[in-house]
Amino acid sequence: MSDHNPAVEHHESHGSIYFRVFIALCVFTLISVAADLVHLPSKILLGAIVLAVAVAKALCVLMYFMHLKFERAWKYLLLAPTTIIALALPVSLRPDIGSSYYFQDLQQLKDYPEHEARVRDALKHESGHH
Amino acid sequence: MTHAVAAPTLKMGIPISNAKLGMWLFLGTEIMFFTAFIGTYIVMRMGSLGWPTDPHVTHINIAFGGINTFVLIVSSYFVVVSHDCLLNHQYAKAWKFMLYTLLLGCLFLGIKSLEYAGKFEHDILPGHIPENNRQAMDKVVGQFGALMDRHLAKAFPKKEKREDQKAELDTQIETLSKKADATASEKKQLSQYQAIAKLNSEYISLKEHVRGNLSLTVPYDKFDDIRKEEHASSKYAPVTLDEVNHKVEELRKGVVGTHEQSIDEGDHKAKEPNNDSELIKSLASGLRSAQPILYGNLFASNYFLMTGFHAIHVIIGLFMFLLILMKGSRLSVDDAILVENIGLYWHFVDLVWIFLFPLLYII
Repeated sequence: MSDHNPAVEHHESHGSIYFRVFIALCVFTLISVAADLVHLPSKILLGAIVLAVAVAKALCVLMYFMHLKFERAWKYLLLAPTTIIALALPVSLRPDIGSSYYFQDLQQLKDYPEHEARVRDALKHESGHH
Repeated sequence: MTHAVAAPTLKMGIPISNAKLGMWLFLGTEIMFFTAFIGTYIVMRMGSLGWPTDPHVTHINIAFGGINTFVLIVSSYFVVVSHDCLLNHQYAKAWKFMLYTLLLGCLFLGIKSLEYAGKFEHDILPGHIPENNRQAMDKVVGQFGALMDRHLAKAFPKKEKREDQKAELDTQIETLSKKADATASEKKQLSQYQAIAKLNSEYISLKEHVRGNLSLTVPYDKFDDIRKEEHASSKYAPVTLDEVNHKVEELRKGVVGTHEQSIDEGDHKAKEPNNDSELIKSLASGLRSAQPILYGNLFASNYFLMTGFHAIHVIIGLFMFLLILMKGSRLSVDDAILVENIGLYWHFVDLVWIFLFPLLYII
């Protein structure tokens, strides 16, 4: 390569920024784990909190550790198509596989009552112990 | 014509090194690679009513997941510190931090393999999981049959077919029990063969009960009569998974023949203390009770696909760290771009885990 990386020539240590980002990542992880341990009333709420935390952590890593905050517009050129396709996949498949519109002759649907009974017995068994 | 190379006045392209651009393009494709699996998991879960989430059922250990998350975050931090040190010409420190990253990566793989070992032990593998009671009962019977095949083949390796092995077993028992002056080892051999025969008859009884859908309380010796009866299925109670699993637990403790009760008398036979219980116990130690998990096979498929590919990426990253660590004292500021790129790859691996952790362990 003939092009120099200007960062190599005059470099100030970014150690303190990195450490602060690291602490932020640890805090976010603890929030995720706490959200699980607290037994929130709704699964959707848990999912929303935990995925929001995941996105926040991802942004920390992308922006600071992977240095994207300090890079130029090329990052959008690279990541925009990727992100679009990444989101498009579940969104487009959801109406196909993720939802059902007619009665499905599926073994697992036939076994569902048995499964429900098993879950009920397990809960009864657990509450009997506590 | 020669001329001095002047600094170019026009710069084409993106102002980063080719290597870094290449790495970012590769990471773009890797994002799509993992999105395929994670997106599939999300969509499959949405479409599956009754997907297993109870950690006692799936044997997903959130503590291990949390520790692994922390391990990868620390390792990402160390990579970035290492790169920083390298740019500040602190080569020994940079090398040290890359070594720590490598070690943390190995720790991640160690914890992951503990999790995998747990899955293997509970047979949470794609294609191995029964999804309803009938499949669970069939699985127990199937495993029992395979266990008996192994015992018979081990006892009579010269016979190839199962029927020959069984016939040989009966012959040996008859011969040895009739022998008046049997030696101690022959008596021991006889006990062993008798235990195998007893376990085999338990297996056949269980198999026929499950196959005929008759409760274990219905005695096996009445089966021929029952088959001739009309409306037999409505007269006798069907076999249940709890009965079958209970039977397995008893056999593992070395207790045989407890469920048989006469349908006329309606009272249980007392559990007879069995002299061969230790032998039965050791022979039956390979038996496992089975619990169905609805959508268990889809779950296991998705789990191993996502975490397996992630683990492969971790291994590749560790290999790259090993390569650069082998430079040792020759590490210099010229390696900064290489270290940065390896760091980018490692951060990506961390990023994938940041999304896998909540999706698999928490939600």
